[in-house]
Amino acid sequence: MAAQTLFEKYGGFSAVSKIVLSFYDVLLDSDDVGPFFDDVDMARLIDHQTKFIASLLGGPASYTDEQLYRLHERLDLEDRHFDEVVATLAGTLAKHGFSAEDVATVEARLEIRRSVIVRQNVD
Amino acid sequence: MSDKMSIEAINEQLLRAIGVGVALLDAADHSFIYQNDTFVEWFATEAEHKRLDDLLPDFDIGALEAELDGNKRFTAEIKHRKKRRERIFAIEFTRAADNGNGMIILVCQNISRIRELESMIDSYSQMVERNTREIKREKEQVEKLLLNMMPRSVYDEFKTFGVVIPKLYDPVSVLMLDFVGFTQMAASADPAVTVSELNDIYSAFDRIGEQYGCERIKTMGDAYITVSGLPDPTPDHARAVANVAIRFIRYLERRNEGHPNQWRCRIGITSGPVVGSVIGIQKYVYDIFGPAVNLASRLQDCSEAMEITTNEPIYEMLKDQFRFEHIGKQDIRGFNEQDLYRLRDSRQPIR
Repeated sequence: MAAQTLFEKYGGFSAVSKIVLSFYDVLLDSDDVGPFFDDVDMARLIDHQTKFIASLLGGPASYTDEQLYRLHERLDLEDRHFDEVVATLAGTLAKHGFSAEDVATVEARLEIRRSVIVRQNVD
Repeated sequence: MSDKMSIEAINEQLLRAIGVGVALLDAADHSFIYQNDTFVEWFATEAEHKRLDDLLPDFDIGALEAELDGNKRFTAEIKHRKKRRERIFAIEFTRAADNGNGMIILVCQNISRIRELESMIDSYSQMVERNTREIKREKEQVEKLLLNMMPRSVYDEFKTFGVVIPKLYDPVSVLMLDFVGFTQMAASADPAVTVSELNDIYSAFDRIGEQYGCERIKTMGDAYITVSGLPDPTPDHARAVANVAIRFIRYLERRNEGHPNQWRCRIGITSGPVVGSVIGIQKYVYDIFGPAVNLASRLQDCSEAMEITTNEPIYEMLKDQFRFEHIGKQDIRGFNEQDLYRLRDSRQPIR
């Protein structure tokens, strides 16, 4: 049998929905990362975050690097923004009962995507 | 006196702190007369709004007035963005029953979380639905593969019960075919080309067989076995197999005319009982067993290239419909002496 995903381990969609809303609240209130969402439609943002967090946890969604690149390419994100999002997600997961080990797993999965999300320095 | 004051104070405190936004508007110019704390928290921006249309520039004041005149109340759902946070409010206006001054009471509730959850459920349903479609597609693929391995009725039994009970089919007609010099061909020519051509030929055989209701049982290297009368009995089983055998040869003759590689087959056909079953647990295969299978194989061995050899049962059933040539009695290993016949294509000139 396939190994249990984090998505399943922490209670499936009902748990993930709380994580997404909590993550969304913190990001919007952040003065560093928040402004990137100034013109983003709520429904779109929720949709993206639900799917992205589900995919990070091994749930029923997946993002290709190509999709992530296109979603973020015009934002000119810097490493510090990415760091803050990683830290915010880690904090949110910990708050929702994720073990330190599992938080680290998710951080590592997110880290792999850094290069497609953060603006590449081409100078 | 002091009691009355405190109740008023409490009322005001309640009105201020309640989790519902409350405001009073002047009915004439829609300027704000009062806003409670919640309302201010939700709507107040740097530039304070004086009137309703400062706050909600897109709001349909005309509709509000019309509804208030008619129904005394007006409800709407509005979006408002404070800083970057878009909130959605259910908003209700009613005319205050005051003594003619004209005030409108505005009450609004924050329904953002409900809308956010709805968006999330939408998003999640999309994911689940897409996954369900993928699973369904995969299931269809698996089913298609399994249906290539066994007849549908057997597959249905297998799916329902997890096992297949061996079943006797009697009578059926069996066709066994192999290719002359295949081993040599596979060794000398490019194996990839040989296999690809074999695949073309078997696919053509499958289509021909299908037209006559034959069930391809299996192929093993250059051996091809097909059956008529299974899983559904048919009175025409002998005729179906004879027709198929003749068409296999016609197909190869036509193909050989245009191809450098010459494929020449030998065919044996006969009738009798067989047992069909799924064999194996992890790697299952549907197969048939019985005297008719062995005999068809021996008869195939008696054929020269592009010939069809058969025996008494088929001859008896089909002698009025097909051309046969008696080739004498012969001892067949494992069977008694048999009268053997060549089945000829009636399109071929009589030699």
